Amino acid sequence: MSFRKPSVLPGFGLTLGFTTFFLSAIVLLPLAALVLSAASMHWSDFVRVVSSPRALGSYRLSFGASLLAATINVVFGFIIAWTLVRYEFPGRKIIDALIDMPFALPTAVSGIALTTVFAQNGWIGRYLEPLGVKVAYTWLGVTLALTLISMPFAVRAVQPALQEVQRDLEEAAETLGARRVYVLWRIILPTVLPALLTGFTLAFARAVGEYGSVIFIAGNLPMKTEITPLLIVIHLEEFDYQGAAALGVVMLAISFVILLAINLLQAWGRRRHVQAAH
Amino acid sequence: MSITLDQVTKHYGGAPVVNDVSLDIGDGEFFVLLGPSGSGKSTLLRAIAGLSGVDHGRISLHGRDVTHVAARKRGVGLVFQNYALFRHMTVADNIEFALRVRHMRARARRARREELLRLVALEGMDDRLPAQLSGGQQQRVAVARALAHKPEVLLLDEPFGALDAKIREELRRTIRQVQRELGITTVLVTHDQEEAFAMADRIGIMNQGRLLEVGAPHELYARPATRFVATFLGAANLFLARRTPDGIQVGGKTMGSAERAPGAPEHEVVAVVRPEEVELAAARESLGSRYLGNGVIDEITFTGALERLRVQLDEAVHAPLLAASDADARALQVTRTRQVNRGFEVQQGQTVAVGLRRVHVLPTPISSFTACAPSALRADVLSRQPLLAELVARMKTRVAVRIEPALGHTDAPCEAQGEFFGTTVIAAEGDNVERAEWLLRRGVKDLLVLPEAAAPPQRVLIHWMGEAARSATLAVSASVLRHVPAEAVYLGIFPGRSDSERHSYGMRELLDARSEAQAAHGLEMRTELHFGDVAQELTRRLAEAPAQMLIVGVTELKHFAQGFRALLDGGRWPVLIVQRGAP
Amino acid sequence: MAAVLPHGALADDAATRPGEHTWVHAIVRWLCITVSLTFIAAVLLAPLATVFAMALAHGLEVYARSFADPDTLAAIRLTLTTALVVVPLNTVFGLAAAWAIGKFEFRGKSMLITLIDLPLAISPVISGMVFVLLFGLHGWFGVWLQEHDISIVFALPGIILATMFVTFPYVARELIPLMQQVGNDEEEAAITLGAGGWMTFFRVTLPKVRWGLVYGMVLCNARAMGEFGAVSVVSGHIRGLTNTMPLHIEILYNEYNFVGAFAVASLLTLLAVLTLVVKTLVERTGYRRR
Repeated sequence: MSFRKPSVLPGFGLTLGFTTFFLSAIVLLPLAALVLSAASMHWSDFVRVVSSPRALGSYRLSFGASLLAATINVVFGFIIAWTLVRYEFPGRKIIDALIDMPFALPTAVSGIALTTVFAQNGWIGRYLEPLGVKVAYTWLGVTLALTLISMPFAVRAVQPALQEVQRDLEEAAETLGARRVYVLWRIILPTVLPALLTGFTLAFARAVGEYGSVIFIAGNLPMKTEITPLLIVIHLEEFDYQGAAALGVVMLAISFVILLAINLLQAWGRRRHVQAAH
Repeated sequence: MSITLDQVTKHYGGAPVVNDVSLDIGDGEFFVLLGPSGSGKSTLLRAIAGLSGVDHGRISLHGRDVTHVAARKRGVGLVFQNYALFRHMTVADNIEFALRVRHMRARARRARREELLRLVALEGMDDRLPAQLSGGQQQRVAVARALAHKPEVLLLDEPFGALDAKIREELRRTIRQVQRELGITTVLVTHDQEEAFAMADRIGIMNQGRLLEVGAPHELYARPATRFVATFLGAANLFLARRTPDGIQVGGKTMGSAERAPGAPEHEVVAVVRPEEVELAAARESLGSRYLGNGVIDEITFTGALERLRVQLDEAVHAPLLAASDADARALQVTRTRQVNRGFEVQQGQTVAVGLRRVHVLPTPISSFTACAPSALRADVLSRQPLLAELVARMKTRVAVRIEPALGHTDAPCEAQGEFFGTTVIAAEGDNVERAEWLLRRGVKDLLVLPEAAAPPQRVLIHWMGEAARSATLAVSASVLRHVPAEAVYLGIFPGRSDSERHSYGMRELLDARSEAQAAHGLEMRTELHFGDVAQELTRRLAEAPAQMLIVGVTELKHFAQGFRALLDGGRWPVLIVQRGAP
Repeated sequence: MAAVLPHGALADDAATRPGEHTWVHAIVRWLCITVSLTFIAAVLLAPLATVFAMALAHGLEVYARSFADPDTLAAIRLTLTTALVVVPLNTVFGLAAAWAIGKFEFRGKSMLITLIDLPLAISPVISGMVFVLLFGLHGWFGVWLQEHDISIVFALPGIILATMFVTFPYVARELIPLMQQVGNDEEEAAITLGAGGWMTFFRVTLPKVRWGLVYGMVLCNARAMGEFGAVSVVSGHIRGLTNTMPLHIEILYNEYNFVGAFAVASLLTLLAVLTLVVKTLVERTGYRRR
């Protein structure tokens, strides 16, 4: 086999064969079915399905709320990560472990629990109601659910980066005469910026696809609180497989474009630093 | 003075990491803080930079007290071991950082940056990112960055640690050159003695939080005052020798030492012989130096410019070496240059005559320990007592065992067998006063009374009764405290009650004691003034906290016996009695 | 006696640094901790507490009785069955993938890793949908399957396939970097000493990666038992037959049977807590997630 370096260890053929077979059967073949289903549609049908007002409304909600949730998570994720890394306080280790809760908690559970807490008579909702803030069954609720389930991505991306900001960088800046705020702004933030962007990306990717936690709190009114994954399910339930596949492909495509844009932004940011000196 | 440290002390969780360090560093001086890892040298540097607070003491830069001034207002430049360059900024932005913080105009910044880059030989690298530079180049940038705001003091924390040998050499030269050109006062922290020698105007050697010795490199190498410095700065053979009216005796043979002390009574000392001061010859007659004895070449290692030998001394040579293990107790380290080697080539197994060209005697008063008990078993147990073993290991000395069947029988006619040398140790097990007195009357000068459960001391209390014992007590205390990370407190205790006149007299005494300790013995100690009964005050102070030790100087034994029973029998604290000036 | 710097000495330094306004530090610290705790309490702790509060709203007896419902029991059974099939299969896959990728150098390796990670980036709804497109009545193999009387979608095989798709990367993701990191030296030594491939794997490799394996399996299991979106699409929601626990929660909730819904939810929450505990314990052995 010319495509691999020789090794004395056995089992290459067996394990690679099994891996590729299993991967193809479980992941690749079904995904191909999705793309082919969408591709087998007539172009005008495809456009009609994916640009219907209802579909456009769902994109707006899905991507808008996901961007907002990812942004919230970057801000709070930074504060939480900073608190966990820099301060020692009772319960720190428990909080640290709890951050991963949304990973482990089934989304349906998060969904009904959040809805209950933020409903008009819920523990938190009842205090927001008099202020005129409605969370459950509005876009706010969607954002909230997406924030919850994507929070660990942001925190866990920033935490190691903050941990690695060497103390001596800050100390160097201080001996050179910088104040703490200046150090935070000019030294720490730029250093963890790539991690923040990564956290944003991961949180966004997770939020866009989320289904379970959102459908309970969203209210699912067409055009208003209907997310794209739900629209796909509705198409499926009507046995409109092609329509569902078309929406799925659009979702994948938009996610891909946004993620690509963020990656480009990151690369551009790196280059800019080099050029700034000119 | 550019940098003045006055009794700087810093604790981490109880244990002092920087212990009573006082030091003056002159304008434009290149000062190297040298010590093993964990000796407190980096903490001291961080304290000077303002990155770490101190618990006690003062730090001044150019006469300005900066003890409580924030790092950013101290006007120091600090270079870290791992460069600590800002990775997201270019070389230019890194260097201009301090200037930007100070709102300097772009044109002035640029001029300063170019000047600095020229200084560290990195012209034209302005637009690189740190990741695009080699380790040596990064450290040059770090040096330039630290100098940008024209600091009054440049501090370097193991700046070469992460670099390989060749680049290290080059960077050393650059830094030394820059330092000379700018005339900036510089403190470098390192654990590498070769580096210290190569760069320093003066070296300060730290161990266990204490600044042990300060001096020019060649001075410290030729005339170390402590065992630690003798062995840390280069290799050394340490002998237990005798100081006699005729001079220094090693193995019963008088070495032609210039450091003889006529008139002083004979006592045990520690002699340092550098490996290159050992001479080998085919026969005694062809030696150019004083003959010590014969030995057999045990091992020859060729290291390029030098030849390293290990010579096993003859059984007949009675010159005990202070070595890490018994196996090495007769092994002498020798180095010879190629030239000497050509004159007299040796082979493994060959018998040679050994001579010593130069013998340096350490001024330290504690040479070795002798565990003394009425039976062999008890003496042996005592010699293995943890605290004693620890002291022996830290002082790189040895403990001998001595059986005195008559010990403690006050009226026993039986005299002690022969003279006592070094520090004698007895177990605290009752009748301590009688046994101590018995030994002190028979010529024991330094006596350690050691309780079984004694803890390593965190604080050493010092006191003397009678001015004649003052200097010796301070010397012994200094010697102990160089090896034990404890704080030193001198208790001036005056009989009777306090009144203003007696109080001011007492304060004067304390100041005298402190300045003598500092000047003559390099010992930094705190002082406390008490009035009342000496033994009672000492006992009270000892009982206050665990892990204390007492060093007490006595002149006349009748003073000692009075009231000391409670103190010696009462607690778990070790007491070291220093007897001087007695008839 | 040794004057070694204790851990956290540098943090201690920051606190004792001269010339700093300690009250400013105290306020910033207090603010950071308060903001963090409030945020976590609002979006995490309150929902968690609600689960148990709602489940026990009408007392323990009602809570216990909701598990007596045959449909609920069927849902629990189905979820356990699914996990029992999916987790071992994905574990075997993860081990094989990690061995092939971690121990050998070959072309297309990074591509393979990307493909393995793919399901993580895909919406669960789409993950379920692809199987409907393949095996559904109007899907590619729908007619053929119906002729042979095989049901995949709206039946157990579909649920297992969708769950497998969603949890596919979990074990492999933990093991691949770990195997790369521990290197080949010990395996090569074992082989040259005459050990066979299987023996080398079980005696040398497996002990080295066991914590990573446990970690991956625990996460895989949590996701497998809790998956909603993908399973929802393929299950058909047939009560007592193709309803997993998360789907059953939805049905009970939509029927306003809150105690029942939250009772099942409380079981899954306990599972999540258990997962976190195991994860924390594994991390305490020194195994760290990258």
